[in-house]
Amino acid sequence: MRFTIYQESRPGKRRDNQDRIAHCYSRDALLMLVADGMGGHLHGEVAAQIAVQRIAERFQAEARPLLPDPQLFLARAIERAHQAILDHALDHHFPEAPRTTLVACVIQRGAAYWAHAGDSRLYLLRRGHLVTRTRDHSRTQLMIDQGVIKAEEAHLHPGRNRIYSCLGGNFNPQVEYSPRTPLRDGDLLALCTDGVWGPIDDDGLVVNLTAGVLSQAVPRLLDISERKAGPTADNLSMVAMCWHDEHAVGAATVESISTRTMELDGFESRLDLSGTAPGATAEFDEDEIERAIREINAAIHKIDSRT
Amino acid sequence: MPSQANCALPPGFQLDQYRIERQLSLGGFSIVYLARDAHGQAVAIKEYLPNSLALRKEGETEPQVSEEHRLAFRYGMKCFFEEGRSLAKLMHPNVVRVLNFFRANGTVYMVMQFERGRTLHDYIRKHRGEVKELLIRAVFARMLNGLREVHAHKLMHLDIKPSNIYLRNDGTPVLLDFGAARQTLMSDQPVLKPMYTPGYAAPEQYEKGAQIGPWTDIYSVGASLHACIVGSPPPRADERTQQDTLQPVVKTQAGRYSRQLLELTDWCLHLDPQQRPPSVYALQKALIHQDNAPERPEHWFSDLGSRLRSFIGRS
Ligand SMILES: Nc1ncnc2c1ncn2[C@@H]1O[C@H](COP(=O)(O)OP(=O)(O)OP(=O)(O)O)[C@@H](O)[C@H]1O
Ligand SMILES: [Mg+2]
Repeated sequence: MRFTIYQESRPGKRRDNQDRIAHCYSRDALLMLVADGMGGHLHGEVAAQIAVQRIAERFQAEARPLLPDPQLFLARAIERAHQAILDHALDHHFPEAPRTTLVACVIQRGAAYWAHAGDSRLYLLRRGHLVTRTRDHSRTQLMIDQGVIKAEEAHLHPGRNRIYSCLGGNFNPQVEYSPRTPLRDGDLLALCTDGVWGPIDDDGLVVNLTAGVLSQAVPRLLDISERKAGPTADNLSMVAMCWHDEHAVGAATVESISTRTMELDGFESRLDLSGTAPGATAEFDEDEIERAIREINAAIHKIDSRT
Repeated sequence: MPSQANCALPPGFQLDQYRIERQLSLGGFSIVYLARDAHGQAVAIKEYLPNSLALRKEGETEPQVSEEHRLAFRYGMKCFFEEGRSLAKLMHPNVVRVLNFFRANGTVYMVMQFERGRTLHDYIRKHRGEVKELLIRAVFARMLNGLREVHAHKLMHLDIKPSNIYLRNDGTPVLLDFGAARQTLMSDQPVLKPMYTPGYAAPEQYEKGAQIGPWTDIYSVGASLHACIVGSPPPRADERTQQDTLQPVVKTQAGRYSRQLLELTDWCLHLDPQQRPPSVYALQKALIHQDNAPERPEHWFSDLGSRLRSFIGRS
């Protein structure tokens, strides 16, 4: 696989960042995750964190290096994550289970599969145009569907943040799955929270996302949304990926990642924990550092024992 | 960003099982020390200490990392691990050996075999304008063995330059500093983006959308050959693509070196990757098989030639 990927999460004007994002990949499969812990509820960031972490863990356990069935993987991993949030709430005597939105996308064998619950979105862009995006599980979207309000009015509507599907909470999530969607060279997939898409319309999002390389376009887009949102800007998070046909000319750039050289059981992962409480960040990273050092020393000694 | 220099750990400092003897170098991303292990063996220890993200003051051991840089610092560590990971896979006489990897003082350390000698960069500076053709051929032919090993493991060096080619006292070269391995990971952390050394990086390293491959390392080999022959690297590749002011050495240095060596230097330095030597092996063969070298000492060359050929047979 060859792709360019960029992710960023920022608190906006809020004190805490309850968004969590991650991506990880094996040689043959890529997973991207965005979760928006729900502010009105206690411990929203805990729900988002658990969701992202659990799904990433399942991915690492099952993508060896291909997932046997991407759709089944998404369904099971999301269900497990939902259960894990409920368990966590019980174990810690939370008065109610925390909640989070989720949008997850798997890519393997040149096709994308995604699933979402709530109002975090996935956009698929091709040649600078919007091919498709997820429909929010929100009251606003329902009202648009029923013709009660117009799409253009949606951003003004007070019920914008009311969503009827999420992980955690008192009800089972209603997860929506995409069909298998083959990717073409240059296709762009962007997953984001409402902090990003809320302040601008789809056209603005598309235009800004396709202007230049992702590592510049995404921060610029986030800047725009944050500025437009003003003094109460919500947390803003995005994972964006540009797909490169392995055989296309000029496919590889300095920034692009080729997984061709990866070991069959190798993984790369990146969880963005910018909003996590200090203790939690340190804990996660500590493990990773220890693991990396162990692996390197194992490689050194493997070679040593050959001599 | 104010880049204050970091203070090195002092001589005599006990670092894990090693005792620091002295500082060898200070880079933007790391400090390298000469140290001794518990048996008195000399080792080189590279300390992860990015200037822009961490500051170690005089007399302190732990660098201070401000809250705003903490994640970037941790993330850069991963890239340092990438360098370790790459090197740990390789066992080759012309690639520096990693011996150990550990954590201390809030950062991480890579222990390498200590090599006695100097960098090719230092050598060129001392002998500017009179680096002997035979030395160039011998050093580069062997260095390319190391590079072939790197490529055989599906890795790329991407930072070949005279200051990363180390000459042991016996004249054999060692490839150092796989720091560029970090670049794949660093795409979204501009703070730590590696600085390509102008003049040695290939045009495709400056250009988004261009394909990176073994030919990229080949360009840098050519630029390093250029530095040996002329005393300085060619103009920056990104400037060359705008307006190419590079004079072919086959014109400017005619008579000083064999035509074949000059031609193959120019060959590596083509802006178009397709015009460069098709493989490291092809380049290496050209370096060893010299058709018309009038002043070649017969006995020496035949001896070295056969030894190098037996090197090439491997891998
Ligand atoms: N194994 C070694 N043996 C002897 N000297 C070494 C060794 N490794 C490094 N050095 C010395 O330290 C210098 C710097 O090392 P290196 O190129 O690995 O790091 P750097 O260029 O400072 O790193 P960075 O670019 O990551 O900041 C070398 O030029 C060499 O003089
Ligand atoms: Mg160096």
